[in-house]
Amino acid sequence: MFVLNFFNMSVNYKNIIAIIIVSSTIGFIYNSLNPKGIPLIKEERILVFEEEQSEITDSDLTDTPVTERNEIEEQIIAPSEGNIIKEEIPDAVREFTKPVAIRLSRAYQLYNQGVIFIDSRSKEEYADGHIKGAINIPFYESEKYEDVLNKIDKNEIIVTYCSGEDCDTSILHGDELFEKGYKRVYIFHGGWDDWLETGYPVESKL
Amino acid sequence: MKKLLSNSYLLFFCRITLGFLFIYAGAEKISDPSGFSTSISNYKLLPIYTVNFFAISMPWIELVAGILLVFGIAVKENAFIINAMLIVFIVAISISLARGLSIDCGCFGKGNQIGIQKLIENSLMFFAGVLLILYNSKILALKVNHSE
Repeated sequence: MFVLNFFNMSVNYKNIIAIIIVSSTIGFIYNSLNPKGIPLIKEERILVFEEEQSEITDSDLTDTPVTERNEIEEQIIAPSEGNIIKEEIPDAVREFTKPVAIRLSRAYQLYNQGVIFIDSRSKEEYADGHIKGAINIPFYESEKYEDVLNKIDKNEIIVTYCSGEDCDTSILHGDELFEKGYKRVYIFHGGWDDWLETGYPVESKL
Repeated sequence: MKKLLSNSYLLFFCRITLGFLFIYAGAEKISDPSGFSTSISNYKLLPIYTVNFFAISMPWIELVAGILLVFGIAVKENAFIINAMLIVFIVAISISLARGLSIDCGCFGKGNQIGIQKLIENSLMFFAGVLLILYNSKILALKVNHSE
């Protein structure tokens, strides 16, 4: 009765439903017990652009009374590891809470400051052409490039990029680097496409 | 042709390979739930609030279906489940390729980019699944379908 039968194919769909329900239940139970478990409803990964971020903090600061404002400013400056970094790199006033997305103009500005660019694309794409001076760490094989990464100081400013706006590796890579302890990670949203289009310095091969 | 395709050794090979591939795929995803959840959301095909339901349940369905296939329990049903999932994967990858996304496949954990290769792999697995649904694989099976 519960058997679908066409051609020579006979599948008991009651069993199918049973297998799916039982396995999913195991999945949900396991997830709730697993310390690495994920929430039932996913939070969206929204890219926060630098402009937006500074707008928010600026308005927050002006809204608060003067006394509180001083405290906030102290809080912002105090936790960063001493003022040495701040003097070297004037941008680095705020500690990042997560990687910050930037667009072409800002990326170029950082480029001129000699910031480290990390190309998250594959080796082949990198060889075809990349932002001048960028380091290639393909996201999909980042384990193999541990030693390349280890040479980079955790306090350095890092910009990750991939092929353009539709790729996600720069974001994933940015998040990964941030979790590894790199404090100032930027994600260059326009990526290689934007860079190439404007005719900014590029190079191919190594 | 039919005789060739219903060869019991070929069916056994298909069953074991498909089974172990899905056990591996399932286990890999179970070990990194947040990674898999990110992979699904990168396809930008599902509403964000449904993503984690799939991320939690799908790896276990893969794992269980894979184990049952290897043991030869309810082979046709499990092959059917696997093929249904493979169709979803093939459609999802095709759409993403057509949209020009260069994203992580999420097929076997991190480290596979979507591409034609993935489509071919999935199609081969789908073909193996079809054989398992059509014919009975009896070698080393704990329980053969009654339908014969």
